[in-house]
Amino acid sequence: MTDYEVRIGGERPNPAAGWTLVWDDRAQGIARLVSGTASVPIVVEGNRSDWVVTLNGRRISVSVLTRRERLLADAASVERTHAGPTIVKATLPGLIVTVTVEVGDEIAEGATLLTIEAMKMQNEVRAPRAGKVIEVTVAAGQVVATGASLLRLE
Amino acid sequence: MSPLPPFGRLLIANRGEIAIRIIRACRELGISPIAVHSDADGDALHVRAADQSERIGPAAAAESYLSIEAVIDAARRSAVEAVHPGYGFLSENAAFARAVEDAGLVFVGPSAAVLEALGNKLAARRSAAEAGVPIVPGTTVALGDDPGPVEAIGFPVMLKAAAGGGGRGMRRVDAAKELRPAMDAARREALSAFGDGTIYVERMIAPARHVEVQLLGDRHGSLAVLGERDCSVQRRHQKLVEESPSPAVSPTLRTALFESARRVAATVDFHNAATVEFLIDVEGNHYFLEMNTRLQVEHGVTELVTGLDIVAWQIRVAAGEALTADVLEASSRGHAIEFRLYAENPYDDFRPTAGRVTAWRMPDGPGVRVDAGVDRGTELRPEYDPLLAKVLVHAGDRPAALARMRRALDETRIGGLETDAGFLRWLVDDAAFASGDYDTSLIASRWVNGPALTDEEAALASAAAVAARMEGTTERLQAVPETGSDWGRQARREALRR
Repeated sequence: MTDYEVRIGGERPNPAAGWTLVWDDRAQGIARLVSGTASVPIVVEGNRSDWVVTLNGRRISVSVLTRRERLLADAASVERTHAGPTIVKATLPGLIVTVTVEVGDEIAEGATLLTIEAMKMQNEVRAPRAGKVIEVTVAAGQVVATGASLLRLE
Repeated sequence: MSPLPPFGRLLIANRGEIAIRIIRACRELGISPIAVHSDADGDALHVRAADQSERIGPAAAAESYLSIEAVIDAARRSAVEAVHPGYGFLSENAAFARAVEDAGLVFVGPSAAVLEALGNKLAARRSAAEAGVPIVPGTTVALGDDPGPVEAIGFPVMLKAAAGGGGRGMRRVDAAKELRPAMDAARREALSAFGDGTIYVERMIAPARHVEVQLLGDRHGSLAVLGERDCSVQRRHQKLVEESPSPAVSPTLRTALFESARRVAATVDFHNAATVEFLIDVEGNHYFLEMNTRLQVEHGVTELVTGLDIVAWQIRVAAGEALTADVLEASSRGHAIEFRLYAENPYDDFRPTAGRVTAWRMPDGPGVRVDAGVDRGTELRPEYDPLLAKVLVHAGDRPAALARMRRALDETRIGGLETDAGFLRWLVDDAAFASGDYDTSLIASRWVNGPALTDEEAALASAAAVAARMEGTTERLQAVPETGSDWGRQARREALRR
């Protein structure tokens, strides 16, 4: 147990002590955390180091890392921060309706970059950080899949 | 219950939970329900629930569920006598109602003429005003490129689609400089959703409650007023929660709302289920918004408090039956609440999410009703509405209904994709919602993007994940087995055709 380190977002929380995981329907990941007479309904998904625990309806991504995985993860994150450009990707599949920025635009964090129509709704894709647009890889009218790269920010 | 089924076979021109709801009504009435499906829905729950299903085209809604030709063709092939459009898709499309009539079939809804009159929200605003019903101040003619009429009303304003509904093509505008892009966006959204980019403008009423009155009319001139529903919990001007009775409506206001609803209904010669929607300001003034002559997503709330089956009555009325005294004199008992489960991320502006449902357990027990359109293994499609299920509760009073809803949500388990369940679980304990004193800004002002994860939640989630990892298995939990290979799906379709 002590060998594992837990990460949620940027935090490293300590697992609550004294709770036991009891499967209710393991095939679906439906379970309870039990401690004495207290019982918390949860859903658990994942494997190895990547888990998602649904608690009170909220999906919480939890990394459970061994010492070796920890070192690898830290090395990868250092690489990312030095990698330079950020690639903005589609988080859902849909139709590109408008592209509001052009190569060379200096944009603020949260600025609207483009609009994707999915589920019959117009979803605005916003800048994850401030920067300069160095490449736009999609155009209005194009259909994109989840994970497709949309544009690059310097 | 009528002695003879109103129809022998009925086509349900819809999908998801509402198709299943209509199939259930058909079963109880002794009607054989016929479903339709796009290529994406060959294995869908509603297809499996029906007696037979007709393929109507590829996954894109425009070429399947929105194709009048394809649906009429399916109705002919399956030799049905009537067509129920559900909500959304073709339910308020006058051309579709006419095509159904021209094919010699019964449309479970109003006549094409009524849909034409009411489908144009602008014309409906004019008729309501002429009938002496208060309307939201704004234009009663289409908005052109001239921003003059908008500036005359004064900001903030709401831009709305004349052909609108479901919050699409709607934009709040707070200042003159935002007007042009908002007009363009509203027109574009309206054009893509309804094929008509006409917009108009209304003054922003805020704070406001959104309350609607449920009506049921027959072909013999009778009209039942079945109480109101409060729909003030909204995101993107779309409803997430509905309850009846409305905690904001006094007996005096209720009388005024019912009277206005009757007057609006009298402007058209309609028979079917319908809803007249109003905004209510802080002084208790009510303003007509629109009338929808179709089944509403939230009809179940009224079914719980009145004990009536609105869908069955829609079908019976379409067949020419007269409303009975128990419908016309129906009263409301107790309190009912509906929470909608959507594949949306409430921590990120309620953006639609995609994925496969890997865990699915719905609540049960006394006073709980679930209308679901998916089950374990369902792959959410970006082409369609992200509504997964509606959880409804009924209890003696509002506090008891809230306690029941809290219990129901704690029984609900969904895995595989982000849903608004976290928001809904927060909502039952929110002080404003619990007190009944809330308005349409609740999500924007109180939820925003949700509270930060607490240390306790992080510690519990960590404990669960560590315990799961320590079991040592490397197989992925909840990897759902494929629900059928292509040939299996093909075989099922073939079987359905026979």
